[in-house]
Amino acid sequence: MAAFHDYVRGLTDTVPEGYAEPGMRLYRHLVYLGASQTVEAHFPELREQLGEEAWDTLMRAFVRDSQWTSPYLGDLAHDFRTFLARAAEGT
Amino acid sequence: MLGLGYRREMADWDLTALGADFIEVAPENWLRRDRQRLHDWRALGKPVTLHGVSLNLGGTGPIDVAFVRAVGQLMDELDCPLYSDHLAASGDAHQLHDLFPIPFTRDEALRVADRIAQVQDLLGRRMAIENPTWYTNIGPIPEPEFLSAVVERADCHVLLDLNNLAVNFKNHGLITPQDFVARVDPARLRCLHVAGHEFDARFGLHVDTHSAAVEPDTAALAAQLAAQHGLPLLLERDHDIPEPDTLEQELTWLRSMTTCAA
Repeated sequence: MAAFHDYVRGLTDTVPEGYAEPGMRLYRHLVYLGASQTVEAHFPELREQLGEEAWDTLMRAFVRDSQWTSPYLGDLAHDFRTFLARAAEGT
Repeated sequence: MLGLGYRREMADWDLTALGADFIEVAPENWLRRDRQRLHDWRALGKPVTLHGVSLNLGGTGPIDVAFVRAVGQLMDELDCPLYSDHLAASGDAHQLHDLFPIPFTRDEALRVADRIAQVQDLLGRRMAIENPTWYTNIGPIPEPEFLSAVVERADCHVLLDLNNLAVNFKNHGLITPQDFVARVDPARLRCLHVAGHEFDARFGLHVDTHSAAVEPDTAALAAQLAAQHGLPLLLERDHDIPEPDTLEQELTWLRSMTTCAA
């Protein structure tokens, strides 16, 4: 299942064997949307401040590198802060 | 028994006037929140059922024992007659907060059933699993047989979502909702879900959005099953939530159909 989730995360654009491309794209879209909407709900001004393109880049990176474990969706806000801190260290 | 999936947008609504006999909530949304609203509802003598979204039964990460214990405590607190989650994965080793397909294979059925059994051991009671919508999947076993294999081995209950059956049939054309229902052991059923869905042209797929009214065929099949087996029927509406009047009309429609089917 690693190939499936690698595609969903956006780590690869290779559709895993046996799966259909539209469905895979939809799963990727749904995960992106969930993350984007949740982060936006916690940081309502950030999206406007960043602009669409930078927001999109940031959300894609957030999903791609995510190591979320909490069953609570609200904890994504905390994970997002951690992600930003880690990214800042890396630059 | 007719229920409504409770959303925070309904915080000021009079749910009794709406015609709901019970409500269903996601434990993930309430475990860390003030639960007075739920206790007020319970004080009316009306049940709350729990329908989770993040148990990750199909994933490879370990079952979150603390979370399951917290769900069990919430069931005790609210005297919940039912806790369900999806026959799906929430991610890989990590949580991705969506519902991903479990390959329809014998090995996966056994693996996931053992995870369900682990959850039930922790809870000290049975749970129900919901047949999910899936947009692409692999594996040789037809979906109803896969569901049955999991349920028999785990010795768990089933929450049958009729809208998911309709969405899957529209997208994949493999099995009609009627034929699917005929292949599920009715003794395992504990609750029925209905909802609406939308076609998304970007993907060429019908998407389980819970953002529209229930389709007549789905409502009719659900009403027939509810009447035949005495099952609670629950309406889910999670997006584009209309005015209370509109949902009241839909609940009245569902109740009328169930009454006619009895």
